[in-house]
Amino acid sequence: MLRAALRGVIANKVRLVLTALAIVIGVAFVAASFIFTDTINARFETLITDISAGVDVYVRPIPPETGNDLVEFGSIPDEILAQVQAVPGVRVAEGAVAGYAQFVGADGDPVGGLGPPTLGFSWQTADELRAMTIAPDNGRAPTGPGEVVSDVATAERAEFGLGDTVTILTLGPPEQFEVVGLANFGSEDNLAGATTAAFELEEARRLFDLEGSYIEISVAAQEGVDAETLATDIDAATGGEFDVKTTEAANADQLSEIGEALGFLNTALLAFAAVAVFVGAFIIANTFRIIVAQRTRELALLRAIGATGGQVTRLVVIEALVVAVIASSIGVLAGIALALLLAALMNAIGFNLPEGPLTIAPRTVIIAMTVGVVVTVVAALLPARKAAKIPPVAAMHEELARTGRKPLRRRAAAGAVVSAGGVGLLLFGLFGSVANPLLLVGIGALVTFLGISILAPLAARPVASTLGWPLPLLFNTTGLLAKENTARQPRRTASTASALMIGVALVVFVAIFAASIKSTIKESIFDNFRADLNASSTNFQIGISPTFAEELAALDEFDTVSSLVFDTASLEEGGTDIIVVDPLLAEEVVNLDPSPGAFAALASADGVVVSSAELEDNGWVVGDTIVMGFPKEPETQMEILGSFGNDDFGQYILNRDFYNTVYDNPFDSLVLATVAPGVDISEARVAADTIAEPYANVQIQNKDELVADLEAQIDTLLQLIFALLFLAIIIAILGITNTLALSIIERTREIGLLRAVGMTRRQTRRMVRWEGVIIALFGAVMGTGIGLFLGWAVVLALADEGLGSFTIPWGQIAVLVVASGVAGVVASIYPAWTASRMNVLDAIAYE
Amino acid sequence: MLEDTAVNGAAARMRNGVKIYGEGTATVRALDGISAEFASGRFTAIMGPSGSGKSTLLHTLAGLDNLTEGTVHIGDTELGSLKDRELTILRREKVGFIFQAYNLIPTLNAEENITLPLSIAGNEPDEAWFNEVVTAVGLEDRLDHRPAELSGGEQQRVAAARALVTRPDIVFADEPSGNLDSKAEAELLAFMRRAVDEFSQTIVMVTHDPIAASYADRIVFLDDGDTVDEMVDPTVDSILEKMKHLGE
Repeated sequence: MLRAALRGVIANKVRLVLTALAIVIGVAFVAASFIFTDTINARFETLITDISAGVDVYVRPIPPETGNDLVEFGSIPDEILAQVQAVPGVRVAEGAVAGYAQFVGADGDPVGGLGPPTLGFSWQTADELRAMTIAPDNGRAPTGPGEVVSDVATAERAEFGLGDTVTILTLGPPEQFEVVGLANFGSEDNLAGATTAAFELEEARRLFDLEGSYIEISVAAQEGVDAETLATDIDAATGGEFDVKTTEAANADQLSEIGEALGFLNTALLAFAAVAVFVGAFIIANTFRIIVAQRTRELALLRAIGATGGQVTRLVVIEALVVAVIASSIGVLAGIALALLLAALMNAIGFNLPEGPLTIAPRTVIIAMTVGVVVTVVAALLPARKAAKIPPVAAMHEELARTGRKPLRRRAAAGAVVSAGGVGLLLFGLFGSVANPLLLVGIGALVTFLGISILAPLAARPVASTLGWPLPLLFNTTGLLAKENTARQPRRTASTASALMIGVALVVFVAIFAASIKSTIKESIFDNFRADLNASSTNFQIGISPTFAEELAALDEFDTVSSLVFDTASLEEGGTDIIVVDPLLAEEVVNLDPSPGAFAALASADGVVVSSAELEDNGWVVGDTIVMGFPKEPETQMEILGSFGNDDFGQYILNRDFYNTVYDNPFDSLVLATVAPGVDISEARVAADTIAEPYANVQIQNKDELVADLEAQIDTLLQLIFALLFLAIIIAILGITNTLALSIIERTREIGLLRAVGMTRRQTRRMVRWEGVIIALFGAVMGTGIGLFLGWAVVLALADEGLGSFTIPWGQIAVLVVASGVAGVVASIYPAWTASRMNVLDAIAYE
Repeated sequence: MLEDTAVNGAAARMRNGVKIYGEGTATVRALDGISAEFASGRFTAIMGPSGSGKSTLLHTLAGLDNLTEGTVHIGDTELGSLKDRELTILRREKVGFIFQAYNLIPTLNAEENITLPLSIAGNEPDEAWFNEVVTAVGLEDRLDHRPAELSGGEQQRVAAARALVTRPDIVFADEPSGNLDSKAEAELLAFMRRAVDEFSQTIVMVTHDPIAASYADRIVFLDDGDTVDEMVDPTVDSILEKMKHLGE
């Protein structure tokens, strides 16, 4: 049996290569996602272990439960260092501060900041405690005001060297520093792509507004002292007020934070892997179905000479297994290549990964191989079972093998049930309150695809006829034949088109989602902002230095200048977005739709203004007192002073003065300005740009520019997703090629006859080509339908989150449908060529 | 040399036709320097034992296959010099085909199958001629049926009508009645006979069936890739008699 199976594989090699490609792509994505995340973790582990090698215990502030932890470091008072140093077993202990330091290049543009953070810290004097090291020829440590040490990579990127003067932006206005040293982190010349600036301790404290305190104390133990014991002793000595951890534990925390940050990437890769594998399964099932049909005689002969139905099934399954193992192995190798590519891509966009080998865990190979093999075998199972039903008599009369088809009613019922189940899961995930809605929505979508593909054969004949109706008019008999050919085997047409359907549906969905976000943003910006100009930060981590708003307000060109901060706070049931405003000026620049007197009350008393929706949901009324948690005040009684209607930015509004007492964030998220009466906006713009110039991370925009900027960000993400979904579409094209090629072989006699009675090669190619186009368009039409539904459901479900405007990007959808038609043409190039080269005599050479 | 063209001229002729299949030791000389002419307006049958080269002769005459050596003419056109596209167009304009099986396109109905060579060429059928042919084969009521809905005899009559609808110079038939029962066979052959008598059609038919061959005006006997004998105005009995002696 095995030998017969191997022969079968070899005999069908071209076809199986196409099938295998679908498996390879799916498995490669699975493997790459694991290899990539494992590798990043391993490399960071090496880096972090390396740079913390001399430290045994870290003392840090207990992390705030909420808020932007990159900003709110919390702090350790100066005197704690002496307490730590006094603990027996401590050999050396030194405090450090850290904050935001943005290098400004010679051209006035910020260096980095669009991805990895822009870090600044104090230079620790004890060599064993310090992460940075300066190589012998690379200068010296910073010893006083006006001196900075940068990492080697940043110096290269921003083209400055030892002795040069650089501009660095911290809390206040930009300042000039002399570069006195260039440092490495362990064996790396940078810290994972971040720009780093180290200053002498007192200078750093001034720059980061941390006079008299530290944000970290690092400790090295005396010889023979256990780190665990020392940590316990230090914790006791400092009264349990701080987060005292051994280096091992601290590093583990840091690694898990990095892991979380990269988790989205792993999820995204696995989601694409799921799409590729799912689409691939359709192609695999289709190929084996056709292979079985083609070998009806051979399989019937096996039955006639005594093979059982089970043996025939096994024969086909073994073939599938052989293909699966080979393809999955190649897939794992391709996954390694893909992981390398991803790492190169990360480096290219500025996230410098530490150097090191790829981590290929046994678990990765096992999972990837299992996915490839199981999916292939399961997909081949149905055709294999069908093979067992071929009666032995078919060896003599092939026509007899065409067993009665299952009644369409049963198919319709099964398809309807599965589709309804899928849609149900999807809607429940979207609108029900469940723990993991994304997973449920994903599974619901997959089940819906499955259900629709079961139903698709019912639609194939009418839809293919409708799509093909102009063909006979345009191309006469050639067109008529192409149209009829797609309708004659609805099952095959439908399952081939189903693969494309999935790719198209996902692209349409993503396009709708993005278009809806865009139009929501646009509406929201024009509804919400009353200001003429808006200043925001180009640095993801850090907002706008507070001195910027002060300088802007001092200009005569502007009437009102007011800033907003967006942050998070904790409530009993979890975190929430908060908006921080200057209550007296907010109404001038932003439309939050407050209840009468709400902002006046907020200006004169510490309290909170809550959105009407949130009040209603919780059954609160104005005047109630609720408990909110802030970084410096974990449990604060807050009186509800009023309500507001426009909750696009958040549900809770705080007064800026109050915010400054409970958060450690001096930065503004947005600075909004209205132009003074009689002043031309463009003139005011020039004045604002002049102020903004030294603040390298501040950009001034009017509403139109703001909209365009946000849309461009969405488009970038969109292109990335489209690029990945493109793979699913390539797999689908392979499927169309496969199906057409097989149909051509089956129709050898028919095509020969057409050639005999006068069809030219060109006409033959045209016939096959249009068949491919109809199949592709059928998939595109089904996919567009499902994509529209998915988009509509998800946008509706997210209406609460502020996604108000369901927008269908008809232009993009039209392009997609046309592109699918073109894909059909591409997919049919090879089959059309085969058909046109077919020997006419084969048509009439009968046995 | 077999001559039958004194009155009508030749619709097709082969000179010194040689066809070799395969290479090296496995070569087969399917046609071995054969020369034959097929007169216009006549019904010629080609007979011979299996492997005598009768199908190869038909295929090469019809431009479906090319000769290794020698020439083939359809009317005044020499086929050997034609490119694939020119050959295709010649087939569609000047030649009609009736095969043993797989004669029709399953997705087209009877009428579309009949007019297939015309519509492939982008031509409109001649209404009067189409009606005449369809009436002659007795398919007036079956035109909107698909092949699967027609009997074997009806299918072959559709094929015959298709072969005639372009008014070809010559019709080639390869065992056209091979899959039919005797009644359907008689109907088909009677129609082919009438096509020659009433419409002055030229038909060349390969068959191994003496009854089918007896409808022809003339029979050419083949063996080992060359003509060995011929017979004019045959009957079933005279054919059987001749075949007995050929075997000796």
